[in-house]
Amino acid sequence: MQPTSTPVIRLANVEKVYQTKTIETVALSQVNLTINRGEFVSVMGPSGCGKSTLLSLMGLLDEPSSGTIEIDGRPVTSYSDKELAGLRNHKIGFVFQSYHLINDLSVRDNVELPLLYRPGVGGSERRRRALAALDKVGLNARTGHFPAQLSGGQRQRVAIARALAGAPEIILADEPTGNLDSVMGEEIMDLLLGLNREQGTTLVMVTHDEQQALKTQRLIRFFDGRQVA
Amino acid sequence: MIRHIFTLLWNRRRANGLLILEIFLAYVVLFAVGTIGTSLWSNYRQPLGFRYDNVWEVDFSSGTQSKAERYVTFEQVLARLRTTPGVLAVAPTASNTPFSFNDSRTSIDDGALRDINYYFVGPELREVVGLKLTAGRWFDQRDATPGPHAPLVIDEQLQRALYPRGESAVGKLVPLNGQAKQRVIGVVSAYRTDGELKEVHASMFSPLMPADSATHEVRVLLVRVAPGSGAALEKRLADDIRRIGPGWTSTIRTLPEMHRSQIKVVITRPLLLSVMSVFLLINVALGLFGVLWLAISARRAELGVRRALGAPAGAISRLIVGETLALTTFGLVLGLLVAVQFPLLGVWGERTSVYLTAMALATGALYLLAIICALYPGRLAAGIQPAVALREE
Repeated sequence: MQPTSTPVIRLANVEKVYQTKTIETVALSQVNLTINRGEFVSVMGPSGCGKSTLLSLMGLLDEPSSGTIEIDGRPVTSYSDKELAGLRNHKIGFVFQSYHLINDLSVRDNVELPLLYRPGVGGSERRRRALAALDKVGLNARTGHFPAQLSGGQRQRVAIARALAGAPEIILADEPTGNLDSVMGEEIMDLLLGLNREQGTTLVMVTHDEQQALKTQRLIRFFDGRQVA
Repeated sequence: MIRHIFTLLWNRRRANGLLILEIFLAYVVLFAVGTIGTSLWSNYRQPLGFRYDNVWEVDFSSGTQSKAERYVTFEQVLARLRTTPGVLAVAPTASNTPFSFNDSRTSIDDGALRDINYYFVGPELREVVGLKLTAGRWFDQRDATPGPHAPLVIDEQLQRALYPRGESAVGKLVPLNGQAKQRVIGVVSAYRTDGELKEVHASMFSPLMPADSATHEVRVLLVRVAPGSGAALEKRLADDIRRIGPGWTSTIRTLPEMHRSQIKVVITRPLLLSVMSVFLLINVALGLFGVLWLAISARRAELGVRRALGAPAGAISRLIVGETLALTTFGLVLGLLVAVQFPLLGVWGERTSVYLTAMALATGALYLLAIICALYPGRLAAGIQPAVALREE
């Protein structure tokens, strides 16, 4: 599927400042960015340049110090915690560098997690969708396993299945291959590219890997909290 | 969500094992305390059946007189006390007086009904302690003449036990073990000399007429005195007894004093157990609170992920409270398995309703404790910023 020109995420004059009693750290400054529906965008930059902060703001995990964030053309700055949670649950899937799976839950239970917080989705429906998501990432034989019994690549596949289970329009991936060797990294990258290509999922990926970034449709570079390219 | 919580706890059962054990032990202790407390409360709610204010107990020691002399002296003492100003009524009685820790138990109908308190009392007892007659009559001069069947007054509990269909016992013959049948002439509401906290036993009374005093060796009198009577009257009674009976001594105690002493003795053990259970509960509460506090620090990333995946703050708070309640449920189920054996096996001989109430109270107390302990950690967990928690990993 080709990306459209419909903005799905828009950041206007976004600034994020972390303030302690003694230090003020500007994490992001004057960020103006639009992500269109169906795009696969990669974000690069040195450590501490604000990439993860950008992803947190796009994922509605954090609030900007100033500026506005729009999802599907609607500013979300004034949304309540419950509304933001609902939006995250329905529209956004997350993939983290360190997977963030719950070790005491089986693979299937981990994948069901986003649906647990979606009203109206019953147990059997959750199971069906979790198994379908695991099937997509090729892990339907491991549903009863626990994260500790899986390799790094398999854990990241579970994390991707968890992001897919809720059928989100957007997936935000924070260095999804950062903890994997090159072969497994390629596998995960292919999986993400496939999602974007075949299902039209909008993807924003933070990465340090130039080769992987070049496979995406657009590359954004950050330096010292500013978008430089 | 409930299934999710139980799955999570089941998968973490090793980590939670000690806490579940602690909750189980707390439940068993609470159940024991609850059973004792409920039993005491249930006893307390039953009518005592008599008044003990302004009633004194006079206990004699009759020295070296012969039995015949003692009888004469006793009659003189009785006559003197009855005419002493400030004394309203005097009743001879056997030594199983209220709050005295003395009892005299019997059984009837070949042991079918056991542990019945049996009182030999003078006809004046009704006036002295204000017994409430609910059917028939109390003892009077008619009972001084021996008849074919000795007169008997019973209490309502014994009447219910003898005639469960609600029939009146008055006029019926009661087969006392090893004795001739006695005829029930009246029914009183109750006469719980063991006090309001002790188990309620059925009671029955036989009259102690003046002629009986010679054979029964009465050594105790219950005396109703005028309100406000004190040390002066007590001294006068003691002096009179000493004057009339050479070598006679007496001990005078008020029933309210005896009541207080009795309550102290009865309540001491349950009180100690209650104090111990309070400490145990505090221990459980600190354990729960500490474990939850630590768990939240250790689970910041997990909670952050849940928030990222769409859990509102309220759902996180409910998750922590829900997990604590589920953990409590594991301990409670084990505790209930133990508790349910008590009524099934009749361990303490209490009524089933007492055990059920104790189970409900212990369950409620532990759930309440769990909620109180989980609320603050739940709020802390709900306040975790997902972006911060996920960055920390």
